[in-house]
Amino acid sequence: MKRRKFLILGSLLGLSPYIEAKDISAFEKEFAEVEPILRAVQEHLFPEGAKLPSAKSMNLTQFLFETMRHKSFDKDIKAFVLEGAQELEKREKGAFVSLSETKKEKALREYEQTEYGSSWLARMMTLSLEGLLSDPIYGSNVQEKGWSAISSYGGFPRPRSRYIEL
Amino acid sequence: MSMYDVVIVGSGASGGAVAYTLCKAGYKIAVLEKGRLIDREEFSKDELAYCRRDLVTPNLFDEYHTIEEKVDGEWVTTPTYESGWSFWNGNIVGGSSNLMSGMLHRMHPDDFRLKSKYGEIEGANVVDWPISYDELEPYYALTEALIGISGRVDEHPFEPPRSTADFSQPPTKENAVVKLFDKSCKSLGITPLVTPRAVLSKDMPGRNACYYSNFCGSYGCSSGAKGSSREALLKPALATGNLTLMSNTYVKQLHSQTKDEVAYAVAVDTITGKEKKIEGKIFVLAAQAHESARLLLNSANALHPNGLGNSSGEVGKNLIFSGGGSGQGELHKDDLKEIKFEELMKTGLFINRSILDWYFVDHWWDGKFKGGSVEFMFEHQNIISRARKNVYKEEKLVWGEALGEHLVPRLTQQKNIRFEVFNDWLPNDDCFVTLDPTHKDKYGMPVGKLRVVGHPQDVKVGKYISKKCEEVLKEMGAKNIYSSISSAPPQNLVAGGCRFGNDPKTSVLNKYCRSHDIRNLYVADASFMPTGGSVAYTWTIYANAFRVADQIVEVLKNEA
Repeated sequence: MKRRKFLILGSLLGLSPYIEAKDISAFEKEFAEVEPILRAVQEHLFPEGAKLPSAKSMNLTQFLFETMRHKSFDKDIKAFVLEGAQELEKREKGAFVSLSETKKEKALREYEQTEYGSSWLARMMTLSLEGLLSDPIYGSNVQEKGWSAISSYGGFPRPRSRYIEL
Repeated sequence: MSMYDVVIVGSGASGGAVAYTLCKAGYKIAVLEKGRLIDREEFSKDELAYCRRDLVTPNLFDEYHTIEEKVDGEWVTTPTYESGWSFWNGNIVGGSSNLMSGMLHRMHPDDFRLKSKYGEIEGANVVDWPISYDELEPYYALTEALIGISGRVDEHPFEPPRSTADFSQPPTKENAVVKLFDKSCKSLGITPLVTPRAVLSKDMPGRNACYYSNFCGSYGCSSGAKGSSREALLKPALATGNLTLMSNTYVKQLHSQTKDEVAYAVAVDTITGKEKKIEGKIFVLAAQAHESARLLLNSANALHPNGLGNSSGEVGKNLIFSGGGSGQGELHKDDLKEIKFEELMKTGLFINRSILDWYFVDHWWDGKFKGGSVEFMFEHQNIISRARKNVYKEEKLVWGEALGEHLVPRLTQQKNIRFEVFNDWLPNDDCFVTLDPTHKDKYGMPVGKLRVVGHPQDVKVGKYISKKCEEVLKEMGAKNIYSSISSAPPQNLVAGGCRFGNDPKTSVLNKYCRSHDIRNLYVADASFMPTGGSVAYTWTIYANAFRVADQIVEVLKNEA
């Protein structure tokens, strides 16, 4: 494991680290701009007090950020997630985050009526489930609460490191 | 630059079998593998890594295929980075054999003489094989012993004959649902058979028996029980000291300076980007069917303007996949027959059942035609994907409190049982691989362009069998039964493209899978298959590669 880490990091000598670093910080900035919207959507999809653990208690937004930041993540999907949040914000005239739960529900169901909005919400659902139900090593599925809610547990051996740190 | 006796491109099932045989015979072998090494200790059941992100296959923006389909009468070409439809299958040391479910069957003797047996089919390029089942049988038996295939010999008219009495490994442990399954089959007059599985039920030297992890297919094995090329063949080959295993090594071209000989492989170190030449006396392609053909085409030069070994013009043609599809039904807690729900929900154990009753159909009403085989299994236990399938209600996404109400019972009060139908993908003029004229991979090599049209007969046969399987599920008391049979190619079951045959004008390889044109070039993967049989390819790939390897040993002996 250590040797491979060395090999991979070693191979990036030259221009690559600079390029990688630039890409990541651009993404961090873009993500930060829409983070409140993404968070509000995830918290609406996975509210407190339901049969499934909540977005808030499972750090689903942090998972979303970390998984999309990795270079292996599909760049088109990454752009789509960010743009879809901007689009929702535009539809709701910048007020989505501060809407009441009833109004958020109405806004999202209306968004779902559009093909774009429906794909975006499905993508948000998938990415949220990936956090909730992946190995706890990824920082979501805290204390296996996602797994225990559906009585389904990951197999052995469990990952000892995150692939995103390779 | 060192000179190897044999240079093998690809480390999956066929590359491993050739390397194993030759290393054991004392020859110096190089295996060039594009992917990296993931060993037993590193593999885990990390669904996010192995099933949700492409960590064992190339990023499609770097390396991809273009797929040609007919839409409203027009050929439309789509790069796979746009569709997300990857045609890569495990680009790591040991290839996709690391990730298989390992449900294997031998082909039937009649699969070797399909044309003689069933005659021409309009629009299909069916031919007999240049070898018979009897010539391959010893190698099926060898594969069974070396790879470690567990199973039980059951009497069945369509079960191919065996030279050995029984499997050396008894079947893997089974879920209690087989009681219900077997009873349901019998009441319908169907014979259930135990599926031979490339998973050890007992320890073998250096490999431990299955520990029933519940996450087998799509994952690497952490006990060595799964009969991957890496565990069963490359490890013992490395132990001989004769194998140089070069991972992260992508072969761009084979270079030939004469009409009938390959001189060296041009390879790129995928980490440093450095190019190198690798010389050998003999070259063996084992890169998976569509990629081996692509490599031959990408190796064109002034001496071989149409690609290497392509005087027939047949390289890339008659690519085949597997016909059929899959189906599913739900076993609910409330009305489960025969077994207790707790037994059904016990995880990790296999269903291990297949049906061969419809391998050949000869019926007064339905007619006489080649059918196929069926495997039964539980729905894959992947947690994220099972949850994802259950977030819709009346075609609308469910969320909020309603999501838990909807999802939790569906994952805790029922278990889904599936079947997969395998029937011949008839070779035809609209299923082939060629080079894309514009698209190149990140190494600057033209990508494979695949036209993937199936023959209408394939869908007809698949539907015939799936209807029978739906009856089995119904008899078991399953709910919401459906099946999906289509002409879409399963990208993990690919063969053909370099047919073997006796006539150099109509085939690429001779009966030993050596190029008709190039005396030191062999293709050992599934490319050689003119027709595919109606079972998963892996056992036949292993067996044939052992046969090819024996032939190469003979050639090397005679040259010495």
